[in-house]
Amino acid sequence: MIMPFAYVKPGTIQEAIEALQTDNSWPLAGGTALLVDMRDGVKRPDLLVDIKGLRELDSFTIDSKKGITIGARTTLNFLVENKKLRASCPVLAEAALVTATFQLRNQATLVGNICKASPAADMAPSLYILGAQVVTTGPRGERRIPIADFMIGPQKNALKKGELVVQVEIPPPPKAKMAFLKKQRIKGHDLSVVNVAGLADTESGTLRLCVGACAETPVLLEGTDQLYKKTRDLGKLGEQIADLALSSISPIDDVRASADYRRDMVRVFVKRIVSRICS
Amino acid sequence: MESYKQEIDITLRVNGVEYRDQVPAHMTLLQFLKEKLFLTGTKEGCGRGECGACTVIMDGRTVNSCLVLAVEADRSKIRTIEGEAKRGRLTALQKAFIDYGGTQCGFCTPGMIMSGQNLLERNQKPSRDEIVEAIAGNLCRCTGYELIIQAIEAAASKKGK
Ligand SMILES: Cc1cc2nc3c(=O)[nH]c(=O)nc-3n(C[C@H](O)[C@H](O)[C@H](O)COP(=O)(O)OP(=O)(O)OC[C@H]3O[C@@H](n4cnc5c(N)ncnc54)[C@H](O)[C@@H]3O)c2cc1C
Ligand code: FES
Ligand code: FES
Repeated sequence: MIMPFAYVKPGTIQEAIEALQTDNSWPLAGGTALLVDMRDGVKRPDLLVDIKGLRELDSFTIDSKKGITIGARTTLNFLVENKKLRASCPVLAEAALVTATFQLRNQATLVGNICKASPAADMAPSLYILGAQVVTTGPRGERRIPIADFMIGPQKNALKKGELVVQVEIPPPPKAKMAFLKKQRIKGHDLSVVNVAGLADTESGTLRLCVGACAETPVLLEGTDQLYKKTRDLGKLGEQIADLALSSISPIDDVRASADYRRDMVRVFVKRIVSRICS
Repeated sequence: MESYKQEIDITLRVNGVEYRDQVPAHMTLLQFLKEKLFLTGTKEGCGRGECGACTVIMDGRTVNSCLVLAVEADRSKIRTIEGEAKRGRLTALQKAFIDYGGTQCGFCTPGMIMSGQNLLERNQKPSRDEIVEAIAGNLCRCTGYELIIQAIEAAASKKGK
């Protein structure tokens, strides 16, 4: 059972910010995470502020110079289906396609995925390697927060009272190879036991990897560029990056997997990503 | 808080019929369909987005009606299993489910039909992989899926059995 609450669907950002200053109020996007939390009694809001009436959250642009903006109303299936995004930044579409189920993706948003701030959030690793910024608005005006400073802990984001996310901005993606891989317990839909996103740009010698579900937040590996420039042998590079990943994460035992299993899978999946994007 | 309401007026179309009602904000679309409109064909399995038994089509897209609030469906067009057969005539997909044994206990069937029908309306010649992906959010404890996949394939190619 979901406990009673009040509901409002503002037509302007100003009204939404005002409503969100109410005690114990939450923004409602697709509701695929929030309504489950409410059913479980993890969240007991007094007011839900439905943000699906806000035109300002609609933006979706792809520009080779300015980069990509993804408004807070953008659903995961929109990302899967968008041909321009597939061409310019396929890793986001790839990640969206393996997140939740088809029905859920019709409602679920990319912004809701990072606001929920699950360590296993499947859209997050790609945003980390792409250097995404989260644009928020609130009673004190606009803020731009790098994704790594936005997701600050399990189920915890950097929003302050009355704030909401307007959009995510991604700098122009380099002409690089990118990939996202997800390890789950079953073939159907399931949260990630481990997920990894990677980007490799041979020209500039850039290599970025982000590992999810193995620490309080996704972890962007540091020092990958140096290893990439130094190491020619692909097999060796994979092992070195996997060692680096294992020294950067702090996995735990939970219902989905043991910490040991996660460590083993991180090695497998990091090597797999490296061989895919660095060859 | 006074200005924000717990009871909200909604107007929506379900299977072509317009309904106006006042609903508590915490009522799900699934509860509204079953308890207010007595459209009991749509099923509740898990109530948390896992099983797809509650799948309906909202403005042309499938949703888990257990995770949509009735107020969120305000001004939308909903299709449920009750609206599929027209004047007692089953759709090609419904017939195929019967012909191929795509339904056993029947609990998943209303959701499966809505997901399958929505797929066929988006994609007239779905591949097997596309069918599997489209129903991956609909769990079935009886059939093992194979007969459901065959039924959808048959409806797509309009071949009866
Ligand atoms: C069966 C099932 C399977 C799932 N599988 C996966 C999976 O494989 N991978 C995965 O990563 N997730 C999964 N999820 C979780 C969820 O579907 C996703 O995280 C989804 O992207 C959430 O988006 P939403 O729009 O539905 O968010 P909502 O539920 O609407 O919101 C989530 C949280 O973010 C806040 N919020 C939303 N939008 C904003 C905004 N613009 N500004 C400020 N705060 C905001 C809400 O207040 C809430 O606290 C699954 C969920 C279910 C029920
Ligand atoms: S009842 Fe809605 S998904 Fe199971
Ligand atoms: S027929 Fe029984 S659950 Fe599918």
